[in-house]
Amino acid sequence: MDLQFLYSLIVGVFIGGVAGYLGSLMITKRMALVGDALGHAALPGIAIALIYGFNPSWGAIPALFFGILLIWFLEIHTKLPMEALTGIVFTASVAIAFLFLPESEVSIALIGDISKINLFDTIVSVTLSLIVFLILKKIFSNMILASISEDLARVEHINTKKHSFIYLVCIAIVVALGIKVTGSLLMGALVITPAAAARNMASNLFQYSFGALIIGAISCLLGILFFKAFSLPAGPLVILSASSIFLISLFFKKR
Amino acid sequence: MEKDIILKVENLNVDFGEDRVIEDLSFDLKEKELLVILGPNGAGKSTLLKTLLGLIPYQGKIQWKNDVHIGYVPNEFVIPEGLPLNLKEFFQFKKDSPEKIFQALEWVGIKASEKNLEKRLYTFSSGQLRRTLIAWAMSDEPNILFLDEPMLCIDIHGRETIYDSLVKLWEEKKQSIILVSHEIGEVCKKADKILALDKRKLFYGSPEEVITPQNLAKIYGSSISL
Repeated sequence: MDLQFLYSLIVGVFIGGVAGYLGSLMITKRMALVGDALGHAALPGIAIALIYGFNPSWGAIPALFFGILLIWFLEIHTKLPMEALTGIVFTASVAIAFLFLPESEVSIALIGDISKINLFDTIVSVTLSLIVFLILKKIFSNMILASISEDLARVEHINTKKHSFIYLVCIAIVVALGIKVTGSLLMGALVITPAAAARNMASNLFQYSFGALIIGAISCLLGILFFKAFSLPAGPLVILSASSIFLISLFFKKR
Repeated sequence: MEKDIILKVENLNVDFGEDRVIEDLSFDLKEKELLVILGPNGAGKSTLLKTLLGLIPYQGKIQWKNDVHIGYVPNEFVIPEGLPLNLKEFFQFKKDSPEKIFQALEWVGIKASEKNLEKRLYTFSSGQLRRTLIAWAMSDEPNILFLDEPMLCIDIHGRETIYDSLVKLWEEKKQSIILVSHEIGEVCKKADKILALDKRKLFYGSPEEVITPQNLAKIYGSSISL
């Protein structure tokens, strides 16, 4: 096994795992499509990264933070629903990116490229995935309670605004990392599909969140192995692996 | 603040945009007191509870005694369909000891069996969910309980059981309770004070003073038989 491929597998498994875990929270908070929208909002940053030849994730992070701050700012000043603002920001981002994204790089931007990963990328991706996972694990139960009843959470002395901000930052980091694996077009599926599959089969929250983590990691592992075997793009194979697991989960659906 | 007073409210005003929903309200709650808040729909009862809990901005003065621990049963509580959150995990949000959880569940009439603890909350009926919520609020033994229409969706038999238990518990433990209710039943008779609200204070006093046919007609806008 060559080193490059090993790096891809390690990065894929860690990012897939944390994306699945995050997805279990996002579905509960009815934010299933936010990952998708943010994946698109990152496109201008990805475009710059590809033009200057560095890892798209490192370009995506500032673009995502700018996008989130812009949505937050517009929400305060317009009173429009967040989904409408997210829609405006992400389509504007796509439009900007396609003004200067070279045609040869379009496919990488949209469906990712896990094959060009070095040791530095691997260390940073694994470390960030672990940090985000630990942060999410710490706020997980508070976030679930707040999503059921924000009043109840606040009475229990949970700082819901602080938690929401931390959660948004975690989404931005996971989306930025995931873009390397699946590209901006498919990023939403990496967050949502493993969590949806886990939810079908789970009897409790623990099974749901950690099931989503395991399914996310397995989907990336399978997708990258198929990529090696069939020389097809890894991003779509990762998502199709997750989608297949989702279909299988329907047979084990808990009533 | 006087020694036995746990909560003192003075000249409280709450606005939603241009609408004033609570107007110049003053009252206090003593330790171990049961205060029932009555009023028609839209009178500001739930808003008052949320304001006292610090969930809504206000003008005026709300003073709490130090180290007050509050249990709260909100009016609205819905578990998203399909969320695999079971009863045991719900109580673990509070990090209570299992003994306290079991005790609270038994108190509201839910058997704390392994089977019940593994049941997912979204499969509960509205009444069962309401009982669960009451148990949740009680489980860490708060010294003041805020109950916003706790009997919503609970059948008549269940209401009697829970109201009886509530009164019994209150008589035993003597924690302070603020109860928002539409019902003028046994609990009202046991209450120390009744606050009748319709944006502003209509009546405030003992049950004998407040619960009269004339007052109820003023509170609810039509004659109500007792």
